[in-house]
Amino acid sequence: MSRRVAILGAGPSGCFVAQALLKARPELQVDILDRLPVPYGLVRYGVAADHQGTKAITRQFARLFERQGARFFGNVTVGREVTLEALREAYDAVVVATGLSADRRLGIPGDDLPGVHGAGRITRALYEHPDAEPLPPLGARPLIVGNGNVAIDLLRLLAKTPEELDGSDLGPGPTAWLAGSGIEEITILGRSPAAAARFDAVMLKELGRLSGVSIAVDDPGTAGTEEGLRVLEALSALHGHGHGTGPRRIRFVFSRRPVAAEGEGQVSALLCAAPDGREERFAATSILTAIGFDGETATAESGAAVRMAPGLYGAGWFARGPRGTIPDNRADAQALAAVILADLDAMPAGAPRGEILACLPGVVTYDGWTRIDAAETAGPPPGRCRAKITGRAAMLSLAAARDEKETQP
Amino acid sequence: MKIAVLYGTETGNAEMLAEDLAAELEGDHDVSCANLSGFDPAGFDAGTFYILVSSTYGDGDLPASAQPFARAVEAKAPDLSGIHFAVFGLGDSEYHETFNGGGEKLAALMAARGAVQVGERVTHDASGPDMAEDLAFPWARQVIETAAGLVGEDA
Repeated sequence: MSRRVAILGAGPSGCFVAQALLKARPELQVDILDRLPVPYGLVRYGVAADHQGTKAITRQFARLFERQGARFFGNVTVGREVTLEALREAYDAVVVATGLSADRRLGIPGDDLPGVHGAGRITRALYEHPDAEPLPPLGARPLIVGNGNVAIDLLRLLAKTPEELDGSDLGPGPTAWLAGSGIEEITILGRSPAAAARFDAVMLKELGRLSGVSIAVDDPGTAGTEEGLRVLEALSALHGHGHGTGPRRIRFVFSRRPVAAEGEGQVSALLCAAPDGREERFAATSILTAIGFDGETATAESGAAVRMAPGLYGAGWFARGPRGTIPDNRADAQALAAVILADLDAMPAGAPRGEILACLPGVVTYDGWTRIDAAETAGPPPGRCRAKITGRAAMLSLAAARDEKETQP
Repeated sequence: MKIAVLYGTETGNAEMLAEDLAAELEGDHDVSCANLSGFDPAGFDAGTFYILVSSTYGDGDLPASAQPFARAVEAKAPDLSGIHFAVFGLGDSEYHETFNGGGEKLAALMAARGAVQVGERVTHDASGPDMAEDLAFPWARQVIETAAGLVGEDA
């Protein structure tokens, strides 16, 4: 009887754990669960709609289900359709790879004012996550707080012309929202100096190809590290980009510590402290915070950060916190798989155990997902590579629809 | 022909392509497939044709798994004259104009040690319309044909 591993979360980290396990032991039964009816998590709902090349890793993940024998169980929420205890009973190992999705708050007075939004809330809505809140109006002068790649993704999408979104999978609602945003100026502000900013230089360089913007970088300072120098070089190349032609102004501001979000019934400014202690006020019609993600994370058993209890493991952002790129998490997933395999080898042979997922009501299999995927890619509108199905009910009914061939004996 | 497919990968896309390519060529050739991260530059053999598959990461850089190999080549400076290789790159033009940088750097590294590049270096663009294997398979057959008269001859 081959060993059975359940992975909670079909995002990149969960899929990379499955990949590493099955590469080493093709005979393992690996089941990947997701609370959504569709797989791939962050790749589908967090990677920017205009970064389709990054999303190409889903071809690796599809292979898990199509050739390597992994099974997908979508629309299954642990704690609702099935308990963690039941999973641990039925599987030799359970891996929690549920990610982190809650926006970290600024933690300053006024951070709950109307008009202050987390970046995750905005990007989930832009990428049409079924649980997303509606896209709010941002006004003419949104201010983005944060110096990471999520902040740059948001900035880029807000700054792009409609034509620059060609080839993406941005849906009609978000497309119309962006086209009608009325944005005149975007300020992107961070508390660290530019050289300590977390964005990748290559993400900054991408902004240099935007046609509708004028970019100004306020006093980026100096750098002491190679990575810092790359960021400074990229920023200095951006400074002055599009001046005189780009109708949307973008302003980079560094070394400003947010002190309070201000406004009467609606945010109107961000009060910051400058390095010399001076207070500085930045007018804003909305504030978008891209300063990281929060949520419940793994509590490690002594020593091994990834093993939470015997047979229970954490992977990806759930285990390491909201740091690290998709490739970083692939490397982590491979290390975790090695730990799991060693544990499985040391485990006494168990009695065969029954199926607990296949009989759950409303479960979406990989075949179900391929029907959703086919519907999304069958005839996307001009300039789009995919038209996402946005609601759970529509996803479920597509997933459940058997085509003629399958129902024939 | 004896063929070694060596890959440099970061997200796994180059690894998958390398494995697919090795499987595709297996019927007609004696093929092995390995990660560059575990390949010793002293182990190049003039009787083998090397197909290097490399992604690009960051700002036109080598992917993580090719970096230890690149450091070892630079440190040990092996004499690679008589070694024949071809390079297939992967990149994403959405991010940078240097999207073919990984393959380019790998080719330059090999050539600097006297190895001979066979055929054109081709780079798949993840943001383009083609599947990587649709470019890589015909390309590989072509470079193998060119290499057939070369590999081992001047060893």
